[in-house]
Amino acid sequence: MKQQFLKLAVVSAIACSVGVSASATADAVDTAAIVGDQASTGDIVSYGLGPRGQRYSPLSAINKETIKNLFPVWSFSFGGEKQRGQESQPLVKDGVMYVTGSYSRMWAIDIATGEELWQYDARLPEGILPCCDVVNRGAAILGDKVFFGTLDAKIVALDAKTGKVVWRKKIADFEAGYSYTAAPLIVPTEAHGPLILTGNSGGEFGVVGQVDARNPDTGDLVWSRPVIEGHMGTLNGEESTMTGTANESWPGDMWKNGGGATWLGGTYDADSKLAYFGTGNPAPWNSYLRPGDNKWTSSRVAINPENGEIEWGFQTTPHDGWDYDGVNEFVTFDMEKDGKVIKAGATADRNGFFYVLDRTNGDFVSAVPFVKNITWAKGIDENGRPIFDPENRPGDPAESADGKKGKSIFAVPSFLGGKNWMPMAYSQDTKHFYIPSNEWGMDIWNEPVTYKKGAAYLGAGFTIKPIFDDYIGSLKAIDPASGETKWEYKNKAPLWGGVLTTAGGLVFTGTPEGFLKAFDDETGEELWKFQTGTGIVSSPVTWEQDGEQWLAIVAGWGGAVPLWGGEVAKFVSHLNQGGSVWTFKIPKQLAAK
Amino acid sequence: MRKFWLLPIKLSMLLVLTTATGNAAALPEDPLNSVMWENMAQRFFPGEVVIDQRVVVLSPHEAEDQMQVPVTVDATQLENVVEIVALADLNPIPHILTVKPLQAQAFVGFRVKLEQSTPIRVGVLTSDGVWHVNGVIVNAAGGGCSAPASAHGTSNWYKTLGQARGLARRDGTDAARLSLRMRHPMDTGLAPGIPVFYMNKLLVKSADGVDLADVELFEPISENPTLTLKPLVSNEAEDLLVYARDTEGNEFEFALEVPAMADN
Repeated sequence: MKQQFLKLAVVSAIACSVGVSASATADAVDTAAIVGDQASTGDIVSYGLGPRGQRYSPLSAINKETIKNLFPVWSFSFGGEKQRGQESQPLVKDGVMYVTGSYSRMWAIDIATGEELWQYDARLPEGILPCCDVVNRGAAILGDKVFFGTLDAKIVALDAKTGKVVWRKKIADFEAGYSYTAAPLIVPTEAHGPLILTGNSGGEFGVVGQVDARNPDTGDLVWSRPVIEGHMGTLNGEESTMTGTANESWPGDMWKNGGGATWLGGTYDADSKLAYFGTGNPAPWNSYLRPGDNKWTSSRVAINPENGEIEWGFQTTPHDGWDYDGVNEFVTFDMEKDGKVIKAGATADRNGFFYVLDRTNGDFVSAVPFVKNITWAKGIDENGRPIFDPENRPGDPAESADGKKGKSIFAVPSFLGGKNWMPMAYSQDTKHFYIPSNEWGMDIWNEPVTYKKGAAYLGAGFTIKPIFDDYIGSLKAIDPASGETKWEYKNKAPLWGGVLTTAGGLVFTGTPEGFLKAFDDETGEELWKFQTGTGIVSSPVTWEQDGEQWLAIVAGWGGAVPLWGGEVAKFVSHLNQGGSVWTFKIPKQLAAK
Repeated sequence: MRKFWLLPIKLSMLLVLTTATGNAAALPEDPLNSVMWENMAQRFFPGEVVIDQRVVVLSPHEAEDQMQVPVTVDATQLENVVEIVALADLNPIPHILTVKPLQAQAFVGFRVKLEQSTPIRVGVLTSDGVWHVNGVIVNAAGGGCSAPASAHGTSNWYKTLGQARGLARRDGTDAARLSLRMRHPMDTGLAPGIPVFYMNKLLVKSADGVDLADVELFEPISENPTLTLKPLVSNEAEDLLVYARDTEGNEFEFALEVPAMADN
């Protein structure tokens, strides 16, 4: 027995010393590494492969020619009975993958072997109120810590080596309906050093959207910025400024539970030095209870990270009545048009329009529909404001005979959006955006509602319907300069996963049917697919390790579609849950040929 | 769960490798006749080990409740105590707690969950590097560590998390007897579907911030941890500060007043 024990001890001693030497030579992640993440292909230290969120990699070893030789390396199970939706984007640093999963869990995995280094399970209270599945979209990394948000609306800093909690702070009160699912955003500032920015979730519970900035070392709050007019921000522990002007675009005290949840997190542009957050739907859904534009709901706001002030806002759906929850990511890029370079940003809104804005001041540049048969608006005017179709706003319940149900209308897109949370990608080679979208509409009607803490605050009923018999999902390549759709890939089930594009001329995305697919970035031709065994609703990543290009995707069907899907159920009800991460590369013997 | 206790085990194996290979042969026979003795000694008591009756370990011979088994450790007959380590040999996670009585008597009382009948073993490290070991056998019904905490019957356990009841009295002229109980589920991670979640640190400080006793707690400590410590105090009335932290980073602080000698 003694001998056996000593062998064991020697083995673990070797393992430990290898780990130590690896960490001694590695550079810790700083904000320069985060801002420069897109160009440094050896790691992934931000959500979006760079905080601009372009999801473009300059790697090209896996390309249109070699992709036929792409094979899985390992699959890692998240285990347990807690499967459900897996929407996470992995991070990679020094040969270690940090990946989050459903029910506020996180793993560190040795990429070379696929073996677990540690697991962290948040101890969630029983009463959490996530509206749209128990998902998490990813982590942030800085120095010796990794960070992620939990479903009880907290942010946790873990020791990257051990997975032990360093600090844990409350973002908001989960009993009021708040939760947290987005990846935190780390930005540099001159005034405070690095800051970690979070939004909040809870759009169906009458919460107030807010962006908080914390010190990554301690978790202490540096500033906070509610996005709804009339609410007061803070800076360095004191009240700073009010957001907008109270009651300018809200009646009475409706702004107090006005919604605008910043539930998808943000992007950051090192050129404009602004953090861009999308804001969700106004609450309640019944728009007759809140006449006015209801700022800043269904908007993009640009926040100065130095002080938490809103530099500009652009409202995609003023006075929203359809849950066109405008959180979708604002991806910055330089756009050549008519011989000029515009410092641009683009966003594909829930409302079905693809907008290009000036990222420095929010000025409207252009908008084109990216889904078919939009009914709620006839178009977007020259100022970027929708031209509403009054026939297609759900009716006022007060005008019905019994006052209990307003006139039902059919609106396209559905409230799950022309595009939902799943991030698009921008290729620096083709200059196209690749947008994961869905073609669906909804019957929607309004009902009376009053606010009650922790209860759904909708005032609407709805059911989603596909527009076409044979498909809902639609991956589109759109030229932002011309607004033209260059190609389209149709998928039977609604697309709910993010997109990645590479200098290898490839566009990757996953499908609820379980396939990770690769398309030709110029033609949309499907070049490769792999069945992961469960639906994909997450964002693929790629990086270089030991001279080889790797690809990873998290698999596990879930998210909002199976929970809210209405008639869509027949497209998705047969899909099975899971929870795993898959990695791929081209085997050495094939790469050499 | 597995990984949360494998890591400390690996680290302690390394210590064994460097310090214990030479004198492992000198390990005395286990008076409790446990199959785990050699393993426990190598993992937790690196260095010279002696069986020492001056380490008094009190616990019921038959546990009434395997979720809450009271244990008292009194090593005050030893001088220069650096550390007290308590183990339950046959628990899936043996390590119960480690106490550093920095400015306190070598004494600790606690309650522990037992998975089955097991030796409760205590090693007391003195500043000369010797582990003084003693223990008792407790007979217990099964399942103490792998059953859910009773907090799981309630939906709002987090509202009372860390709530404390405590009492500080004088114990002789220079020490206080500090007894406290804090609300915490102390989840081991072994009950199906319930992640590990326990109070892992407790510090007793003097009013001016000097650490008097440093306690590391592990998963086997009973739900709503109950502890008795004997920090050293002056003759005057003074506040003792208690600071605790759990594996989720929740922090708890409170003060208990020790009465003046004259008022006791």
